[in-house]
Amino acid sequence: MTDTTSTRRMPIGTRIYLYLSLSLVAAIVLVPLVTTALGGFKTLGDLRVNPFGLPSDWVWSNYVDILFGERYWRQMVNSLIIACTTVFLTLVVSSMAAFCFAHIRFFGANQLLNYFLIGLMFPAATAILPLFIRIRDLGLLDSYWGVILPQVAFGLGMSILLFRNYFRNLPEDLFQAAFVDGCGYIRFFWYISLPLSRPIVATVGIVTFVSSWNSYILPLIMLNTESKYPWPLGIMVYRGEFGTDWQLVLAFITLTILPTIIVFFLAQKHIIAGLTAGAVKS
Amino acid sequence: MASVGLRHIAKSYGALQVVHDVSLAVEDGEFIALVGPSGCGKSTLLRMIAGLEDITGGEVLIGGTVVNAMTPRERNIAMVFQSYALYPHMSVADNMGFNLKLAGVTKPEIARRVQEAARMLALEDLLQRKPSQLSGGQRQRVAMGRAVVRDPAVFLFDEPLSNLDAKLRVQMRTEIKALHQKVGTTSIYVTHDQIEAMTLADRIVVLNAGRIEQVGTPMELYRTPANLFVAGFIGSPAMNLLEGTIDADQDQPVVRLNGGSSIRIAPERRVRRGQSVRIGLRPEHLTATGDESIGGQTLLVEPTGAQTHVLFEFAGQQMTAVVDGDHPARHGTPFRAGIDRNLVYVFDGESGKTL
Repeated sequence: MTDTTSTRRMPIGTRIYLYLSLSLVAAIVLVPLVTTALGGFKTLGDLRVNPFGLPSDWVWSNYVDILFGERYWRQMVNSLIIACTTVFLTLVVSSMAAFCFAHIRFFGANQLLNYFLIGLMFPAATAILPLFIRIRDLGLLDSYWGVILPQVAFGLGMSILLFRNYFRNLPEDLFQAAFVDGCGYIRFFWYISLPLSRPIVATVGIVTFVSSWNSYILPLIMLNTESKYPWPLGIMVYRGEFGTDWQLVLAFITLTILPTIIVFFLAQKHIIAGLTAGAVKS
Repeated sequence: MASVGLRHIAKSYGALQVVHDVSLAVEDGEFIALVGPSGCGKSTLLRMIAGLEDITGGEVLIGGTVVNAMTPRERNIAMVFQSYALYPHMSVADNMGFNLKLAGVTKPEIARRVQEAARMLALEDLLQRKPSQLSGGQRQRVAMGRAVVRDPAVFLFDEPLSNLDAKLRVQMRTEIKALHQKVGTTSIYVTHDQIEAMTLADRIVVLNAGRIEQVGTPMELYRTPANLFVAGFIGSPAMNLLEGTIDADQDQPVVRLNGGSSIRIAPERRVRRGQSVRIGLRPEHLTATGDESIGGQTLLVEPTGAQTHVLFEFAGQQMTAVVDGDHPARHGTPFRAGIDRNLVYVFDGESGKTL
């Protein structure tokens, strides 16, 4: 059954209600995005008197100056280094841990899993002070690792949960066939589980990447040198002691969220497939 | 190739014992079928031989060596699963060669052996396909190819034909038999389908509730079942069973049936007057020529082509007879058949043992 056929069968009243609801949700999501993007084309004065309308004069230089400035690209590289390393470490650690929880029975497995899952309940911001002290003690302040390691740690709970559920839904016969073929746990993980888990690898990878990409508080606390700032901290440059160039802030924000939106559109099939994996018997 | 031995094998899940003191000797090159109803422990037994299930008690021997502590790989067995268990992300060739790759065999040697097995199983044109691009029968052949390619000491089959349709099942049954005759590897085959067991196996092991009921060739089990369970399990359609009591008529033993009728039985049966028994009449033994005549109203006629199954009422029970395909039996009309008294099976009413 396709969405098209199910929509056609709906009564007209239901369809009107459906489209109005969806339009409302779309508007709630799109209005801030469009306002931000349009704000980047305005002058500061125009922005103050006309925050939501179209620009009186389209000021392209806001975007052009940022795109042709060295800072924008350097911060993008910083963001990429931090996000890619975070994704890599999260995938490696969480997939291996989840495999153990899915396939190996050991004393205290449930308690250990619950311990990881407790991490889901604590946003990084609530633990920022002890985290800062620990990172300082480790000598990792003002380094990429000071941002990467906490991001990996805070992402593990959700990643392990997603991986574990996916691994558990792989057919038991495959595991036994591989065992008969000569696999141990490590070879089964490497040759069978991981290649069959591409949707969940993509999901965890993308969710982790986006989370790291948008992270603001953690880099703000851990990084001091401007040359190490990732993109989200880039807007700080436009904030002065006595005023802020809001039109540049908005243009910068637009340019930094654009890649994330493009990646999401390209990969949304994998993200949704991974999030719903195991929900129904295939 | 190797012999397989089971010595006093037991399996428990906590307090629940599912396999009780099973001992069995499988000869080198023999094809053994383990049959029994669902939950009788046949798959558990096979998985213990494979090393996929811990053994609670007893010893498993392959080639004379106790293998209890060995991994499946070290036991040098190959297993064909009910679900085929092919790796979906690998091609047919990769599926077949995977165990050789893990064993560190060189690529040219893997290719040669995969090609050889593919030729044997008519899979040569499918080697580059993924399992999802194959039919059920082709997947089953790949699963067998994966087992053949490594030249194991023992083949283990866990209900490999259960997922196939009836026609393909018959075809694959023939292929498995042909394969065994070609390679001659010791094979242990689990099935709940007694026809599969009868047609494939050199010997059949009938299991019930985790115990061996009888071991023998297909015809031994058919002709001389050890007890009521084996008699009821082997043969299709199933044996007709009637309750009665031993009596004598002109110094000849007879069974007085609960409905008031009586049937003479062979004088060699070790029975005593007044003994409560159950008698078994195979549907195909109910013919027009037998000396013991039974009959009743026809309830159902099932033509199958060469033969017709006639369900009729006798001694208050529903009976089945297998007659010629052109037999004129019709619903509601009287049906009569005879049976040779030597073909009337007699079982003890309490223990179920053959008398």
